[in-house]
Amino acid sequence: MSEERLSGNPKEQETVIRDSTLPAKNSNNRKKIPVNLILGGIIVLLLILLPFYAGPYTITTFKRVIYFGFLALSVRYLIGEGGMLSLTQTAFFGVTGYVVGLLGAERGMSFPWAQLIAIGVVLLLALIFGMVAVRTYKIVFLMITLALGQICWAFARQNTSLLHGWSGIHNIEPFSILGIDFTIPANYYWICLALFLIGIYIMWRLVKSPFGLALNGVRESPRRMAALGYPVYWIRLVAFLIAAVYAGIGGILMTYANTMIAPDIIQMSITIWILLTVILGGVDYFWGPIVGVTVVVWLDVFISSMTDRYLTVMGIIFLLIVLFSPNGILGFFDRARQGERFGFFKKIFKQIG
Amino acid sequence: MDAKTITFILNGLTQAAILFLLGSGLTLAFGLMRVINLSHGAFYLLGGYIGYAVWTATGNWYLAVIAGALSIGIFGLIFERLMLSRVRGGDLPETLLTVALSMIIADICLSIWGGHSKSLTTPPEINPLLSIFGVTYPGFRIILMGVAVFIALALWLILYKTKLGSAVRAGVDDRETVSALGVNIDITYMLVFVLSAVLVGIAGVLGGTYLQLSPGSDTTILTYSLVVIILGGMGSLKGAVVSSLILGQLLSFGTAYASQYLMFLLFIPMAIILAIRPQGLFGREA
Repeated sequence: MSEERLSGNPKEQETVIRDSTLPAKNSNNRKKIPVNLILGGIIVLLLILLPFYAGPYTITTFKRVIYFGFLALSVRYLIGEGGMLSLTQTAFFGVTGYVVGLLGAERGMSFPWAQLIAIGVVLLLALIFGMVAVRTYKIVFLMITLALGQICWAFARQNTSLLHGWSGIHNIEPFSILGIDFTIPANYYWICLALFLIGIYIMWRLVKSPFGLALNGVRESPRRMAALGYPVYWIRLVAFLIAAVYAGIGGILMTYANTMIAPDIIQMSITIWILLTVILGGVDYFWGPIVGVTVVVWLDVFISSMTDRYLTVMGIIFLLIVLFSPNGILGFFDRARQGERFGFFKKIFKQIG
Repeated sequence: MDAKTITFILNGLTQAAILFLLGSGLTLAFGLMRVINLSHGAFYLLGGYIGYAVWTATGNWYLAVIAGALSIGIFGLIFERLMLSRVRGGDLPETLLTVALSMIIADICLSIWGGHSKSLTTPPEINPLLSIFGVTYPGFRIILMGVAVFIALALWLILYKTKLGSAVRAGVDDRETVSALGVNIDITYMLVFVLSAVLVGIAGVLGGTYLQLSPGSDTTILTYSLVVIILGGMGSLKGAVVSSLILGQLLSFGTAYASQYLMFLLFIPMAIILAIRPQGLFGREA
């Protein structure tokens, strides 16, 4: 299976660590964990305190990081854990936005219901799409999910009676819950951050759960898993549903952050953008999508302040990443840590020469 | 049948001609290389725009078609040699490369030709008004169908009567054995990729004449091409013919009667086919 993934080796190390029953390994882990925990704690603290020391623009950008972060987690979960490169995730991202806009903003449905129905709709849609797509593997799966995502986009664009075509739904304002006014940017940022941290934690547990391991098994060899008696089809379908919910939550946060939803947000360039973002971070790593999305969103800000052709610049960056460092940023650091410090550059020279 | 229905059917056939040009190259390349060229739509757009540029500069429509076909063919050749062949074997990296390329092409097209839609005008000598079953119909569209039929026949001849064709057909089934038998599979890959690029270049100029070129048409075209090959079965020329005929009618009648739900109509045949025959109408099981 490893030849059809971007690269096989970091995964192998992960499995080694996972079934580390050896005492030597355990003591090694014990030494490592506090450093990571302290570092993580500092980052989280800095993020929580962000509204106190950063300007509104930084907060807006971090909100962007968070809602696209949900989408990136969703995309990475399917590729990295399940071996399914899905290009429908952006559509799920948009579906919840549309439902919240239609029911919440236009029909005035109150807080938990519009959002819950949105998640329900996304689950239903993911079930229908999943039942069609999950039977297939690899490139065929990619093509089918791409076609499904594009159909959603085109539907949103062409339907004027319900979804208002190109212009989409506007004035989707955040609201107050329990007296906390989420129209205040700092409050909204905090709720996004809290949801994101919870989302990351649940994703972590999911990845490490027996279901997560079964999903890894299906990724490596569906046939063997089927022979062992695992319901391969259902495992893949459930993973598809989980990923859809993550994308959907991201979509709700995005819609309220932008106060609008339009077909532009689910068009193919966004699908490509998020996929390449995840690749840039490193699909084989749990933190890959989060690193990727943080880097790329900020890169977007800098590049688009310099040139109008920032999609071209991003495209070239992605092209180079796929050609020269298919394991992304984290893969690059991992190799550096293992002493292959100049492997990346050596590879470039080899490619050129 | 009334005049309206006949017009719709004829429109559907015209649409099918374009869809076939789009799908046939892609399906052959996929069948052989197991690589899906996701910049197919961007190639279409670029080919159409280059044709448009040549047409505005010289006023010669035929030259525009040739320019579109040649330029995209050469572009495809360069891309295949410089990048795709470097990551051959890993189907994910190959697909991702084409994805990144489509992003770059679409953005560059936008920067050169802007956001307004462009279209070429048919030279009057190939656009006489014909009367078919009592319906007046532009001759150019009939010629489009003729071009598609001609290309289908040419592809059939290439596939079934030449050495290259037998290598391609065998490669669809088992590429390892074919390369072990002494066929230079690398060159075969290249030729098929260039062939598919030339076809989509032609489709770009013809589509730019029959329809319009605008930013965003690249992704619509890519979706159409994907649905054509998913429905027809990957790697099957017959499948591409049949599915483009079905989709052509669907698009034509859908535009007339349910334009708001047009794209959703595409989903229905795809879902049915995939549920019953996951490999497509004429595809073989992998």
